[in-house]
Amino acid sequence: MEIELELNGVERTVEASKSDSLLDVLRRNGYTGAKRGCDTGACGFCTVRVDGEPVKSCVKPVTTVQGAAVETIEGLGTQDDLHPVQQAFVDNTALQCGFCIPGMIMRSTALLEENPAPTEQEVREALSDNLCRCTGYKKIVAAVLDAAEQMDDGTAVATDGGPTLNSDSGTTAEIECLRTDCGCMEGDQ
Amino acid sequence: MSDSDRARETDGRSDTTGIDEADSAEVEGEAEADVAREPDRKAESERDAITVNEEKDDARKIVTGEARYTADYHDRFPDLAHGKVVRSDIAHGYVESVDTSAAEAMDGVRAVITPFDDVVPDKLYSSSGQSYPEPSPWDLNVLREHVRFVGDPVAAVAAEDPETADRAARKIEIEYRELDAVFDPEEALAEDAPQLFETDDVENKQSGADYARNLESHFDGELGDVDAAFETAEAATDRHVVQTEWETPYQSHCVPEPHTTIAYTDEDERHTFITATQVPFHTRRQIAHLFDVPIRDVRVKKPRIGAGFGSKQEMAIEPIAFALHLAADRPVKLEMSRQEEFTALRFRHPMRMRMKTAVTDEGDIEAMDLYTLSNSGAYGTHGMTVANNVGTKPLPLYPRVPNVRFSGDVVHTNLPMGAAMRGYGAPQGHFAVEAHMDEVARRLDFDPIEFRLQNAVREGDIDRSVAILKDGDRFTREIRSCGIRECVERGKEAIGYDELEQPDEDHRERGVGMALIAQGSGVAGKELGAAQVQMNEDGSFHLQVGGVDTGTGADTMFSQITAEVLGCTPEDVVVIAADTDLTPFDYGAYASSTTYISGRAVKKAAEDAKERLLEWGSKLLGESPEALDTGDGSVYSERTGNRVSLEEIGYEATYGDDEREHILGDGNHSTDESPPPYGAQFVDVTVDTETGEYELNKLAFAADCGVAINPALVEGQIEGGEHMSLEYATSGDLTFDDDGNPEVLGFRQYGMPRTTDHPEMETVLVETHEPTGPFGAKSIAELPTNGVPPALSNAIRDAVGVRLTELPFTADDVKTALDDRSGDRK
Repeated sequence: MEIELELNGVERTVEASKSDSLLDVLRRNGYTGAKRGCDTGACGFCTVRVDGEPVKSCVKPVTTVQGAAVETIEGLGTQDDLHPVQQAFVDNTALQCGFCIPGMIMRSTALLEENPAPTEQEVREALSDNLCRCTGYKKIVAAVLDAAEQMDDGTAVATDGGPTLNSDSGTTAEIECLRTDCGCMEGDQ
Repeated sequence: MSDSDRARETDGRSDTTGIDEADSAEVEGEAEADVAREPDRKAESERDAITVNEEKDDARKIVTGEARYTADYHDRFPDLAHGKVVRSDIAHGYVESVDTSAAEAMDGVRAVITPFDDVVPDKLYSSSGQSYPEPSPWDLNVLREHVRFVGDPVAAVAAEDPETADRAARKIEIEYRELDAVFDPEEALAEDAPQLFETDDVENKQSGADYARNLESHFDGELGDVDAAFETAEAATDRHVVQTEWETPYQSHCVPEPHTTIAYTDEDERHTFITATQVPFHTRRQIAHLFDVPIRDVRVKKPRIGAGFGSKQEMAIEPIAFALHLAADRPVKLEMSRQEEFTALRFRHPMRMRMKTAVTDEGDIEAMDLYTLSNSGAYGTHGMTVANNVGTKPLPLYPRVPNVRFSGDVVHTNLPMGAAMRGYGAPQGHFAVEAHMDEVARRLDFDPIEFRLQNAVREGDIDRSVAILKDGDRFTREIRSCGIRECVERGKEAIGYDELEQPDEDHRERGVGMALIAQGSGVAGKELGAAQVQMNEDGSFHLQVGGVDTGTGADTMFSQITAEVLGCTPEDVVVIAADTDLTPFDYGAYASSTTYISGRAVKKAAEDAKERLLEWGSKLLGESPEALDTGDGSVYSERTGNRVSLEEIGYEATYGDDEREHILGDGNHSTDESPPPYGAQFVDVTVDTETGEYELNKLAFAADCGVAINPALVEGQIEGGEHMSLEYATSGDLTFDDDGNPEVLGFRQYGMPRTTDHPEMETVLVETHEPTGPFGAKSIAELPTNGVPPALSNAIRDAVGVRLTELPFTADDVKTALDDRSGDRK
């Protein structure tokens, strides 16, 4: 069967079988940032966003994303132009082996859109479905709190005039981020 | 980093006591030469690329999802087949027949293999990624006719997609002749117990093996005269003898990336593995031996790996992947499921331990006697060596105790196999030793911390206990760096040891516990690391190193060491690592060896290249090489202030008119040294005496790993190690039903701590200088996995006066202990 979806802002049609999970289809099509850690929705390594909501893609039947907007780690920032959440994970050394990190970041971007100034406890609760074996979570929680602060500063700039007016590098990623109102563009300024 | 403030010792050896001349003379000559060769103690102001939080070199590709792990390479192989393993569903028996016809008849099935196929070697081997010959018995077959636990691999399938492979695997019919099974190590030692191995089922047997009793290994070692010391103590009025018993469970590595391998043969007929491994070179050798192909025709490449923690210090799935590849005649990817990780792969060995000490009224320990019974499970990978480390890691915390015995039995049962897991026996051993020492102090009314510091290791101590199981003095070591007292002081401050406030409620009691910790830095006398540095024209360098970054940041650490020697920035160093075709040899990432051994090889390679840089600098500057040094991207003269950039040297050396040279450096490192890093783990706990529930208020860990090359990465190691240790103390366990069937199949049944399960953690780095390490560094990776079980047992004892001795501690355990105590008092 064919699945039509909006993948990181681009309309796509992908081949799938009815028993495929969203993770199966993403990985088959080269979107390997989402990792297969358990195939039972228990580790969070495969977390992506579907219509803005964080979703464990390994237990999300691909048939249920027909027509949906799917965002993966590949649609966030680039190595030279990181999203503020990605930047905060780098700055805080909040990663080791990295296998859980794409899922952790997708979960965190969803949290910060819903709650731009979370407390530490709120961060811990929001990330409690995403396991990490390497870090003891300390630097990950610090990174999300740091990202919240950075993005908050960015928002203040945005209300003063907005980054799109003086931005001369309107890449697809930036337009995509503004469209979904995730705040990344502002944080980059 | 708020808690990365580091105390820096100056040259003074603050902990030094008088060294016994006779003792120090016994230390190996090589070690002393090692020290003399190491003039690299650097004051903080002289450091450029080390003790800085250099960005992890793969950080950006990780956060963008571009980092490639083994399974992510699938798109490079259009004809890739997907493997699936069929596993035993009985605990013990013989495979009578395997009917593969239905599976083979399916569309899309490329190969089905069983123990009876020619492509599966009829040879015994050990899966342990250790030196050759492995100090583990050769007791495995790739696929098993004689199955010894629920989960033993019997057959395997390769198919065009994972779903077909799964369906085909389910169509394979296996008939067994069942045998009696045994699941308890003490029962397994009994005369009439079911026997797992006939004597000729095993080659390369280890010391003390007696397979008629399911005994994989028995070992013992003694310093002084332990029996006499206990006899004297028992007869004396000013001596005390205390004996305690301890028990630990299975623990899962919960390795984020399940074991995954892609096996193929390239256009040059070379057998190639992209594989999630900690030991590429051992795997290359083991594959070559097992399949009888030349080592030169095997290539093992480690891409980014989703951590290992010891579970990938194993050739656990590569042989099955390779056999499937040979049978299917196309590339095969074999990727374990999480259920296989929890039931069939590798685990921390469960153990029962007994610790006995004799102590004087003054608090001097006169004798220690530690025994461990290790449940090796069905096979012997790392069985003896892990059990050895139960004693040889924690007993050296007290190296001046004159009478020491350490013995153990490693026993087979029909349960999954124990293997290497971060800490490698030390977590079990520290639980027994450090909770025991606390109990001794409390029973004899000593301050638990002062009692331990009175007996604990100091700089200058001669440590024989680390080599208690070895003959001769070759591995007796001098302790050249030891910050354990500062770790205790700084840890006490971090946890608020002296200002603990009790809760208002009468039924809630708060306490603090501490454990001293030691580990090693590599396996003494059984390590080899090598590296090569090549200069590029533009003044940058390629570093080829066999060392394996398992996610810890080792590649970044290598670039920092290289940069510190060559005077460039870490970004100027391109690290090419852990590919048996492209890099020099390395034993791999285990035993906390990477910074100390591989890092030292890198340093030597950089120093070798630096000599050539100075030669070329000398030519260009007209000064003698001895007058020159490297720094700020150049070779410069302190005397004249003249400098020439590395880029100028690079172009001149490559394209100069008179003569040309590719500036190279190589380095090898092997040693009998394995200096211990030290730590102090503190736990602050509140116990509810009505329910037995307890809450961890805070963890604090102070570590002496010598000079921390990258402090932020070191903190990450500590916090991650404490996470595993927290799990071991509070929530992790594997259970089995009466037939040996696993009851824990995934994360949902297993107690891996989540963000919300972690208390506040404070990390303190105490700097010392280890003269045998690269720029003074020791190891860090395993050290912090050892502390929470004893420190929590001690904290609960401090809070409510009861002693917990079996991991993990549940609220019921606490309540039962409290009830038993009030029963005793009535």
